[in-house]
Amino acid sequence: MTNTQEILTLQFGHYANFVGTHWWNLQETSFQYNSNTPSEINHDVLFREGHNSKGLVTFTPRLLLVDLKCSLKSLPTEGELYESLPDIAHYSGVNWDENKLDIRKEQKQHKNEFQQDIDNPKTLQQFSQKKYNLEDSTEVWSDYLYSRFHPRSVNIINEYQHCNKETPFDTFSLGTELWKTDFFQEDFVDKIRNYTEECDHFQGFHVLTDCTNGFAGLSSSCLEDIRDEYDRKSVLVFPTIPSFFPDNEYKTDREQVTSIMSDSTRVINLLLSFNNFKQHSNMFSPLCTSKDGWRQPGESRQFYHVNYNFKLPYHSSAILASALETITLKYRLKSNTFSTMDLYADLTANGRKAVATSICLPFSFNCDAYLIDCLDQWEGPLYQSLTPRCTIGTNRVMQHLTISGISESKIKKPYNFAGKQKDMPAYKYNSVKEMLEYYLACTTYATASHVTAVEKPLTVKPPYPDIFDKIIGSDGNVNMNPRSDNTIIESVPVLAGLHSGTELGEMLESLHSEARKLKIARFHQFTIERDEYEECLNDILTFKEEYEDSYLI
Amino acid sequence: MAISLLNPKAEVARAAQALAVNISGAKGIQDVMKSNLGPKGTMKMLVSGAGDIKITKDGNILLHEMQIQHPTASLIARASTAQDDMTGDGTTSTVLLIGELLKQGDIYIAEGLHPRILTDGFDKAKTKALEVLDKIKIAIEPNKENLTDVCRTSLRTKVHQKLADVLTDVCVEAVLALKSQDKPVDLHMIELMQMQHKTETDTTLVKGLVLDHGSRHPDMPKRLENCYILTCNVSLEYEKSEVNSGFFYKTAEERDKMVAAEREFIDQRVKKIIELKKKVCAGNNKSFVVINQKGIDPMSLDQLAKEGIIALRRAKRRNMERLALACGGVAMNSFDDLSESVLGYAGVVYEHVLGENKYTFVEDCKNPQSVTILMKGPNKHSLDQIKDSIRDGLRAINNALEDKAVIPGAGAFEVMANKELMQWKDTIKGKSRLGVIAYAEALLIIPKVLATNSGFDVQETIVKLQEESRINPEPIGLDLVSGEPINPKDAGIFDNYIVKKQIINSCSVIASNLLLVDEVMRAGMSSLKG
Ligand SMILES: Nc1ncnc2c1ncn2[C@@H]1O[C@H](COP(=O)(O)OP(=O)(O)OP(=O)(O)O)[C@@H](O)[C@H]1O
Ligand SMILES: [Mg+2]
Repeated sequence: MTNTQEILTLQFGHYANFVGTHWWNLQETSFQYNSNTPSEINHDVLFREGHNSKGLVTFTPRLLLVDLKCSLKSLPTEGELYESLPDIAHYSGVNWDENKLDIRKEQKQHKNEFQQDIDNPKTLQQFSQKKYNLEDSTEVWSDYLYSRFHPRSVNIINEYQHCNKETPFDTFSLGTELWKTDFFQEDFVDKIRNYTEECDHFQGFHVLTDCTNGFAGLSSSCLEDIRDEYDRKSVLVFPTIPSFFPDNEYKTDREQVTSIMSDSTRVINLLLSFNNFKQHSNMFSPLCTSKDGWRQPGESRQFYHVNYNFKLPYHSSAILASALETITLKYRLKSNTFSTMDLYADLTANGRKAVATSICLPFSFNCDAYLIDCLDQWEGPLYQSLTPRCTIGTNRVMQHLTISGISESKIKKPYNFAGKQKDMPAYKYNSVKEMLEYYLACTTYATASHVTAVEKPLTVKPPYPDIFDKIIGSDGNVNMNPRSDNTIIESVPVLAGLHSGTELGEMLESLHSEARKLKIARFHQFTIERDEYEECLNDILTFKEEYEDSYLI
Repeated sequence: MAISLLNPKAEVARAAQALAVNISGAKGIQDVMKSNLGPKGTMKMLVSGAGDIKITKDGNILLHEMQIQHPTASLIARASTAQDDMTGDGTTSTVLLIGELLKQGDIYIAEGLHPRILTDGFDKAKTKALEVLDKIKIAIEPNKENLTDVCRTSLRTKVHQKLADVLTDVCVEAVLALKSQDKPVDLHMIELMQMQHKTETDTTLVKGLVLDHGSRHPDMPKRLENCYILTCNVSLEYEKSEVNSGFFYKTAEERDKMVAAEREFIDQRVKKIIELKKKVCAGNNKSFVVINQKGIDPMSLDQLAKEGIIALRRAKRRNMERLALACGGVAMNSFDDLSESVLGYAGVVYEHVLGENKYTFVEDCKNPQSVTILMKGPNKHSLDQIKDSIRDGLRAINNALEDKAVIPGAGAFEVMANKELMQWKDTIKGKSRLGVIAYAEALLIIPKVLATNSGFDVQETIVKLQEESRINPEPIGLDLVSGEPINPKDAGIFDNYIVKKQIINSCSVIASNLLLVDEVMRAGMSSLKG
């Protein structure tokens, strides 16, 4: 009997599902089925084993996701892993007179080349060696979904339609109202229970959620119920914010007014949901690839050797997913007994439940260089913050970092050939973990850094977007010559972290001051009273104060 | 899944007046829904672009599946689904009646009648129609026969007659099992469980509880008889309360100690269960089952399995209540006062495995006050259709119980109300009489559509019905097989009183609002000018 501590992932909203899709893809494209070296990673933490109606073994994400009607395009709700699609020709007639049957068929959804290839057993093997231009053919997340889901995973809200401007699902209140319907109270809650019942050592939840629209309210309500029913389980929330809202590109004055209103609505949603996450999660870390996140996402963050299009959710979400994959490795390794609860103990002292996420993607250096040189010569910050309005400092921070993809042989030169390297104080460290911890100790003040090193790099072959500089080679190292156009990058080293420091207080303060400017009564789509809103503002302010005194440990 | 209605924008351009827009919207949604009405209506199968299937004949479900763009249509849709939320029925009729009231009203408005006066007439007619409804209603005893009639009538409008009759029996039995003198029935105490195999007509009633999970230990018995049932909400899993920091390492010894302390805590709880089991099952042929809302980890399962106990974890919250009602006993939130008196009883508890899914049957309960409808079907969409239908059937029964009455169906109320309104209209002074006439005419949409859907000539049928009604004081409805007038009472066709009452109330209000929109708009325009 293993002691896997299972986690159930919940994804709420379209952008969260973009991120989630990349995350599941990242994992599944890295599975090695016939390898002699057993994986360092315990995939049972996030996946479940089962069998379909034909008795075949399945391995699917332990996942429930929620999205709006018309957001799936060619993906059938139940998927096709457990049962083939129902054949309407086989209508039994038990239910009604056959000649009184009115069949209304929508036009069949076209599948893009990538989806066609993975549907076909002949081409399935080669998909990761092909360029698909998914930038052009991706409208919704299911367009680049490689994973195949369990039939209970996908939950579609019938009441609101994806991208329908007439009846938008755009406020926190709409989400909390929706949570009260049978669809969630009975069916969804039951599905959570079905998953947890299967688990022998259920650890808790990962929650990825949109927090600028109605899903903010939906996930908040869900968390309240989870707290009730699973009181001692871990709840880790990643609120996701797109780096681009099409309405921000207004052309007319009227569009501008609408866009400003939308920005305000988003601020209110953020405020209300953050306040909820503070109460009902163990820890949460807002994610966005742009610097500001709210009012408008703002300037996009730059990463060394990465060129991405911030307007494409397919791109930005890939970066967020890479960070999630990396930071969560900490409690998904076969070798350790570390759990999410342990992480909270280190990072959320004094009620500091909001933390920042960072990434250095790719953590690449010259193919003939060593980690020790790389760190020695590094200029500027080692990692970029993925949490809006939050620059991660070097002063009084509690942080957990995970680095993956640096092999032992790349740490430093062997003693006999080490030359000048030997003179560096860092030379005495023999592991990636020790060396990076030493580096961090030297470059920070009053900061506690814990590093986890994983040998396996991040798998970034298709359907992951090709967002890397030409000088990154197929193994993720920096090469002398640019790679050829048809070279696929298999994997890259990556560093990512979770950080708790006073900077998070600044994030909260910024949100508070934006939200305070808004007169809630003017936003009649919110069914929230002024007093309630004021209280929420105050709560966020108090929360912010938790970050003020610079105590350490 | 899209059944797109008219595009509102194009419509606005064509019809300059708001009323015309409203009428076209109402007509659009009416056209889609018309064919649904009654036991001879058309079943709709909606196939999405990805291949998902939804089968339904229910107006409410269809409205939820549709993409409605027309603002008036969507307003009517919302009003109709609100109707369903309240009573569980009558959505299609609501849509039809609102549409027809607009259509009939429009005729008079086109001739110059002021909408205000028209809606005044509607209001008067509504009050009168409610009187007729009260006259036509039939008080019933809440017995099996009466409940069967009303449930069968409802279900035969949802699924094939053969299946409807199976489901009717199941629904009536279920409600009767729950019903105790004069207390309202809580339909939540009927569990609806889906099992994807066999066919729809294999749906049955289980006089006990079916749970959608089984034991998670290989050595636990798969079947026990004469079972004590312990229902509880107490964690039986080790959840570490102490943490390992990444910064401060604890020695392995320290950690083991903590684990042991926590473990000991859980073990004590398990021991309490085992002690009770030993006490109550010693020297007899009784056995012991634990059903827990919280988790049970493998170590605890192991200890329980060794004692021959079946233990289930993470039961539904609502099943705590259901189990107490089905088996007796008390759901425990702690094990401080464990004794025989808190235990329930079931004659047999056994597991059924179906693919990846396990089910546990808790059956042969003494006088169960909570039961399970076990739905069968070959695929997901047929199971969903059955579930939708059963919900409708249960609500029809429950409405009848609460109303302590039913009304004759098959258009009988509409024919009767039409007759009485037409007689009564002569007592109305002024032009609002025209509103009463329009209202009376509009009611006939129900028997008309019932006739159309059965392939009978509308005018001929209505004339027959009205003639029969004139000479016969009994309620007169339409026999959908022969096209002839019948007394619905003789044919056992009964509808819910409350449903019809809601329809009358809401349709008049909404139709009036939509008719007055024109006036409101014009008022707005002139005030702008001034
Ligand atoms: N056997 C029957 N013969 C004649 N009319 C019937 C019969 N059974 C039901 N009806 C009539 O059919 C109508 C109900 O049809 P139906 O249930 O399809 O629509 P609804 O109740 O208006 O809407 P919903 O779709 O929400 O159920 C009632 O007027 C009822 O009297
Ligand atoms: Mg009905």
